[in-house]
Amino acid sequence: MSGAVREHNLKIGVSGIRGVVGEFLTPALAADFAQAFGTYVGGGRVVVGRDTRSSGLMIEHAVACGLLAAGCEVVRVGILPTPTIQVYVGATHARGGIAITASHNPAEYNALKLFNHEGLFFNSYERSELMDLYHQSDFHHATNSEIRAMSSDLERPVAMHFDRVLAHVDAARIRARRFRIGLDAVNGAGSLVSQRFLRDSLGCELEAIAVDPTKPFPRDAEPTPAVLSEIAGIVRDRGCAGGFAQDPDGDRLAIIDETGHVLDNDDVLALVVDAVLARLPGDVVVNLTTSAAIDDIAKAHGRRVYRTPVGEANVVERMRAVKAVIGGEGSNGGIIFPPVQYCRDSYTGMAFVLDRLAATGESLSTLAARLPRYFRRMGKAAFEHGRLGPLMQAVEAAFPGAVVDRSDGLKLSWPDRSIHVRASNTEPLMRMSVEAWDDQVCQELFDTVRAALSR
Amino acid sequence: MSLERSLRISHVGLRGVVGPGGLTARHAIDFSTAFGTFLEPGGAVVIGRDPRASGVMIGEGVKAALTATGHDVVDLGVVSTPVTQHAIRRMGASGGISIGASHNAAGWNALKFLGRNGTYLSTGEASELLDIYHLRRFRFVPYTGIGVVRRETGALDAYLDELAEAYDFDRLRRFKVVVDCCNGTSGLILRRINERFGFSFILINGRAEGVEFAHEPNTSARTAGLQLAPLVKPLGADAGFLFDVDSDRVSIATEQGEAVSEEMVMPLIADHVLPKSAGKLIIANLSTTALLEEIAARHGGEVVRVPVGRQAAMDALATHRPEQIALAGEGTGAVMLPRFRFVYDGITSMLDILSLMAERGQPISAILDSYPSYFMLKGQTALVSRNIPTLLMNLQQDYADGRASTLDGLRVDWPDQWFHVRVSQTESIVRVIAERRGSSPRELFDAIMERVL
Repeated sequence: MSGAVREHNLKIGVSGIRGVVGEFLTPALAADFAQAFGTYVGGGRVVVGRDTRSSGLMIEHAVACGLLAAGCEVVRVGILPTPTIQVYVGATHARGGIAITASHNPAEYNALKLFNHEGLFFNSYERSELMDLYHQSDFHHATNSEIRAMSSDLERPVAMHFDRVLAHVDAARIRARRFRIGLDAVNGAGSLVSQRFLRDSLGCELEAIAVDPTKPFPRDAEPTPAVLSEIAGIVRDRGCAGGFAQDPDGDRLAIIDETGHVLDNDDVLALVVDAVLARLPGDVVVNLTTSAAIDDIAKAHGRRVYRTPVGEANVVERMRAVKAVIGGEGSNGGIIFPPVQYCRDSYTGMAFVLDRLAATGESLSTLAARLPRYFRRMGKAAFEHGRLGPLMQAVEAAFPGAVVDRSDGLKLSWPDRSIHVRASNTEPLMRMSVEAWDDQVCQELFDTVRAALSR
Repeated sequence: MSLERSLRISHVGLRGVVGPGGLTARHAIDFSTAFGTFLEPGGAVVIGRDPRASGVMIGEGVKAALTATGHDVVDLGVVSTPVTQHAIRRMGASGGISIGASHNAAGWNALKFLGRNGTYLSTGEASELLDIYHLRRFRFVPYTGIGVVRRETGALDAYLDELAEAYDFDRLRRFKVVVDCCNGTSGLILRRINERFGFSFILINGRAEGVEFAHEPNTSARTAGLQLAPLVKPLGADAGFLFDVDSDRVSIATEQGEAVSEEMVMPLIADHVLPKSAGKLIIANLSTTALLEEIAARHGGEVVRVPVGRQAAMDALATHRPEQIALAGEGTGAVMLPRFRFVYDGITSMLDILSLMAERGQPISAILDSYPSYFMLKGQTALVSRNIPTLLMNLQQDYADGRASTLDGLRVDWPDQWFHVRVSQTESIVRVIAERRGSSPRELFDAIMERVL
């Protein structure tokens, strides 16, 4: 521990359990949590999959142990993207599912993502019930005659996922274009699945890097522009129509245009929202941090935008409530398309973008340039416990006259700009996000927020 | 015994009824994490299990714990403990864990911890393991050092290769033998011996089962009489053998269809190995038949009596050189031989008895008839711990004309009979055993039982 900011190497909370493997995230902790989950879903079939982290199999054994001890039947699906696991849980009417992945967190972390019988993240009420059960250690302990079997289903999940995605695009038209596409799967769960998807299902010619699931992550797990220079260079230099980069569990997607420029995550979501609204009638749900570009696009299609606190579960909950046709979180490259599954799915994103390219015959950079133009700055800062309230108040005081939304941290909006400051759910960090029509205004806003936070 | 409070953690590992109040996933994981911490860092660990359904659950926890403490795991699947022990030695692994509850009912399970060379842990090592467990002094490795799990299917054949070298299979395969496998690991082993070596073991209850066994998985004469003994004569077999679920214990039915007490297993094996063995010592617990002393005397051997339980036998073995020992074991039909590095193995016990039959050219009933008859009575009552010291003291005073041993409860010996009163290590009961040469010890037994009740 250094200074006043304490290390958070383990976090047990509403997003499940996440931590640095070893002293913090132990097999006993993972098994206990899985047993609490198995008790909560009341036995029955539970699907278990994982990303490619070196700790994945160890945690999988612990999770299987806890689920079997709770009387669940365990179906192992091996290394798979999280959205594929979620599709499979819903499609096979399992009682629930667990994906062993710390998503975009570094390699030393691992975590459990928990899904209900529809393959969706638990809602906030379910999550707090599960947490109570975990803390009370009130687990079901199956006797020998109640212990169910363990089986594997390694082939069907990918086919089920692909079928659902491809039903919503013109795959033949995409295949006919024989796009040359760059792929960086960070040696994660998408390594093999994404090659199958792009090459075999969509007829792309691939320039792929980091597609060996047995190797460590060659770059930061989160697909931000700063760490995508290698694939961006390949896309630019080898004449690709574009490039895709995933996080280790294949829920997040970053897109590179043909010039090697990594598109802003908000632009990726905007492109897909535009594509979906052009095909299907319905409204849009995004989180508070997501760009106002979505509002402009929805308005152009005569549709409404609903905003929720940050977090996939929050967006999904609202999408179901308002029967939205598309949703997501611009801030983190998550695209949620209900006909596939109520989950962030990089494969839906890839398919829709390729579909747009095939339909319009335009380049990615051209399509992106047509999007409403906003300037954005994002940042993060560590904060001391107990300082969260005063910091929020300091930011609010620095910007009188804004429309205030306190549903997740603090969002301050004006017609031409906005500020969103919140504490991360997964790390001991403050996240700040600023957007404006004008680049200089944006920079000034950002500097003022940063100054208020560091006071 | 009720499900509640069945868990027992001791020097021989942990054992309990799987479920609420008994053996849970958390116990299996924590104890295996302690074991992974206890072993030298880095070495591989071999695991095997008996067919109980809960073994899969426990096995998953064990794999997680061992890999998290930096050990590669070699998973043998469903095998007997001796096969696991053999694999540990063959692979030069750091140790192993055998998951299985032996002669306990299907609802039970247990973890046995094995050291380098597949040996049971010594008392000192077991104490260290218990300390790590109780203090939660676990040593996890960082994510880059986590072990991998490998499935290994050749362990049974490698084990059988050693048996084929140790025994005269050409002679033994001529026997027609019926075996009651009690749905345990012996079925897998004997089916493979039939396939590979042309034996004709006729198996009953030979399929490995996870939830329900055909009968209680003990090796008492009563259980041997249920399904096995009535089949031997009609099938024209030379003998019948009954195994417990992880095939460390065995008992016998004769070619006449008579179920024999499991107490006879150790004397038979002693009779077979003593003449050939340079070592003349027999390690046996205080509850085992006095026939052993007579057999030992015939071959110039000597019996060293030790407290009941595997750990006491291991402690006694540790104080002798292996070449001094002829065999070690107990009246439950569990015997270990120096040739196989002191592992309780019902399969080698059976092969030794068949070898004795082959060498003598006599049916098993005739060999048994050549021994003087001993009659044993066994009883038990509920344990009231605070009364035990006075009870034992009074008994010793009242039977002062005999030779007393207080190594484990109280055993009093006279030239033609003895009794043993002790507290069980696995259940909350007091056990009473009396044995007499030539006739029933009923009078002595009833007198002791009355005092104990």
